[in-house]
Amino acid sequence: MISDRTRTSLKKELRSNAVATIGVILLLSMIVMALFAPMLAPHDPTDQDSSRNHQPPVFFGGEEEETTRMIDGEIRTVTESNVGSMTHPLGTDSNGRDVLSRTIYGARTSILVAFSAMLVSLVVGTTVGMVSGYYGGNTDTVLMRFVDIVLAFPALLITLAMIGVFGSVNVDIPDPLVVSGLVSGRPTHLTVPITITLAISSVIWVWIARVARGEAIAAKNEEYVIAARTMGMSNWKIIWKHVLPNSITPILVLATIQVASIIIIESSLSFLGFSGTNLSWGYDIAAGRDYLGTSWWLSTVPGLFIVVTVVGINLLGDLLRDALDPGIQRGGL
Amino acid sequence: MKEVLTFLARRSIQGIFVVWGVITTVFLFRVISPTNPAQLMAPDDASPELVRQIEEDLGLTEPIFVQYVNYVIGVVQGDLGFSYMTNTPVLRRILHALPGTLELAVAALLFAVIVSIPLGIFSAMYRGTKIDSTSNLVSLGGVSTPNFWLAIMMVLFISVQFGLLPTSGRPIGLGEATGLLVFQGDFGGLSSWVAHMILPTIALGTYFMALLFRLTRNGVLEEMGKEYILAARGKGLPEPLLMYRYVLRNSLTPVVTVTGLQLGGLIGGSVVVESVFAWPGLGTLFIRSLNVSDWPMMQGILILVGAGYVLTNIAVDFVNAKLNPQVDLA
Repeated sequence: MISDRTRTSLKKELRSNAVATIGVILLLSMIVMALFAPMLAPHDPTDQDSSRNHQPPVFFGGEEEETTRMIDGEIRTVTESNVGSMTHPLGTDSNGRDVLSRTIYGARTSILVAFSAMLVSLVVGTTVGMVSGYYGGNTDTVLMRFVDIVLAFPALLITLAMIGVFGSVNVDIPDPLVVSGLVSGRPTHLTVPITITLAISSVIWVWIARVARGEAIAAKNEEYVIAARTMGMSNWKIIWKHVLPNSITPILVLATIQVASIIIIESSLSFLGFSGTNLSWGYDIAAGRDYLGTSWWLSTVPGLFIVVTVVGINLLGDLLRDALDPGIQRGGL
Repeated sequence: MKEVLTFLARRSIQGIFVVWGVITTVFLFRVISPTNPAQLMAPDDASPELVRQIEEDLGLTEPIFVQYVNYVIGVVQGDLGFSYMTNTPVLRRILHALPGTLELAVAALLFAVIVSIPLGIFSAMYRGTKIDSTSNLVSLGGVSTPNFWLAIMMVLFISVQFGLLPTSGRPIGLGEATGLLVFQGDFGGLSSWVAHMILPTIALGTYFMALLFRLTRNGVLEEMGKEYILAARGKGLPEPLLMYRYVLRNSLTPVVTVTGLQLGGLIGGSVVVESVFAWPGLGTLFIRSLNVSDWPMMQGILILVGAGYVLTNIAVDFVNAKLNPQVDLA
C-alpha cells in the first residue's frame, strides 16, 4: 500500500533531518521497553518492602538511620539505609517498590492502550469516512452530523462519561515472556484496560473519519475510479482496491499524531484514578503527589517518560508530514 | 447584512440539531448505565417497596420514550433535573461551579494567545536563528507535556521549593474580588485571586500556547513567501505595516479557527488541572458526580459544555468571515 515514492521521500527526510531521527529512536526505545518490560525491569514492579521505601534516585542523597523494630519476636536495633543506590537507580516509592521497574511497566500500559485504541479508531474512522465520502448524499449528511455531535464534547469529558456508563472493564492476559519461562519473578499477567481503550477510540475515530472522508471525496472522481465503475466493479471493491490505497497516507500521518493525544488522555485518566491497572504512568504520578515535599522523584520520573514518548511521536509526526505533506491539520485533545 | 442573517440562521439550525444530538446522547448514557438511582438514594436497609416508590417518584418506571420526551422538554425549559446525591437542582450547582472553570479557561486562553502570537511572529521573522530554534523546542515540549504533570512540577518547584505561590484552592472569585476593590478599596481579594490563578492558568494554557505558536509561525512563514508581500515590500511599504496589515491578518484564519475548536479542549483539560489544584469548578464537580454515578449532574455539565462548544464555533466562523473576506459566509 505504501508506494516507492513515499518510501524514497521518507528515507530522504530521515537522512536530512537529525531531529526527526532522534524522535524515531525515542519512540522505538519506548516500544522496546513496553514489549520486553519483564526482561528490562530490574525488579518486580509490584514487590513491596517498607524497609526500603522512599529511597531517592542514585546520587541524590538520602540518609541512614537507626530504628528499633520487632523482628522474630524480639526488639532489635537495625540500621535502615535510605541512601540512593544502583539497586534502585531511580529510587523507590512509598511502598518500597522500584520506580524504574514501575516506569518500564508503565510504558506497557501506555503503548498498549495507544496502539489498540488507534487500531480501533483507524478501522471505524476509515470505514465511516470512506463510506461517507464515497457515497455522499444522505449517507454523508447523517454520518457527518453524527461526527459533529461527538466533536461537541471535550474528549476527556466524554471518555470519563463512558467509563461511568460501562464501568471499568479490564482483561488480564498472561504475559508471554513470563509464562514461557524466559523470565521469572515478574507479574504473570498484563492488564488490558478495555473500557479506557474503547472510550478513547470513541473520540479519536472522528478525526480519522474527517480526513478519510475528504480523501475519499477527492479520489472518487478520479478517472481510474470512474473506469472501475464503468467496468462494473462493486462499490465496496472500488473503495477497497482504489479509493483506500490512494487515501491511506494522510490517514496514517494523522493517526501517528493522534497517538500522542491518546497517550496524554490515557495518562490523564489514570491520573484521575480511572486507570484499570496500577502499573501506569498517570497512576504513579498521582500516587507521588502526596509525597511532593519529601520524595520529588515519585511524580517526576513517570512524567518525564510521558514527555519523552510524546516528544518522540510528535517528531515522527512532523517528519511524516514534512515528507509526505498531505496538508492536514492537527486535531486537539 | 442579509448575508449575515442567512448565515446565522443556517448555522443556528445546524447548531440546534447538534445540541439535540448532545441531549439525546447524554440521555442514552443514563439509560444504558447499569446504576439504579433509586438504589443509590435509598438507605441501605430500604425495603424493595421503598426503592420501588423512589423509582416511581423519579419517573423511572415510565416507558423510556416518555422519559426521553420529558427530559428534552425539561432541558429546553432550563430544567436539568435534580442531583441524585444532594437533591438540589442541577442547574444551580452548575452555575455555582461555572465561574471557577470559566475564569480558568479564559485566563488560559488569554495567556496562550498573548504569549504565542508575538512569539510566533518573532520566530518566523527571525527564522533559523537561536530565538527561533529555542521557541520551537519550547513549543515541542509544550505540546508533549501532559497538563497535570506540568502542574505538579510547577507546584514542586515554585510552591514547595521556594514557597512562592499557593498550591491549591480558589478562596475568592473574580467578581467578589473586584467587588472588594471597588466598594472597599481592598486589594487583598484581587491579589489573592491572581496568586491562586497563576499556576493553574499556566498549566492549562501551555499546551494551547505551544499549538498556537506553531500555527502562527507556520502561517506567517507561508504568507511571507507570497508574491503580493514581495510586491508590497518592493513598493516600499514600511516593514511593521506590512507585517501587521497584511501578513498577520491573512495568517490569522487558522489561528482563530483552532482557538475556537480548542475552547472545548480547554474545558476538558481543566478537569485534570482542577483536580491537581483542588479548584472548585465544573471538572471537580464532574469527577465527584462520576464517582457516585450522579447522572443528572454529569448530563447537565455535558449538555452545557456541548452547547457552549456549538455557540463558540458559530462565533468563530463569523469572526473568520469578518477577518478574511475570502471566507464566504454562505
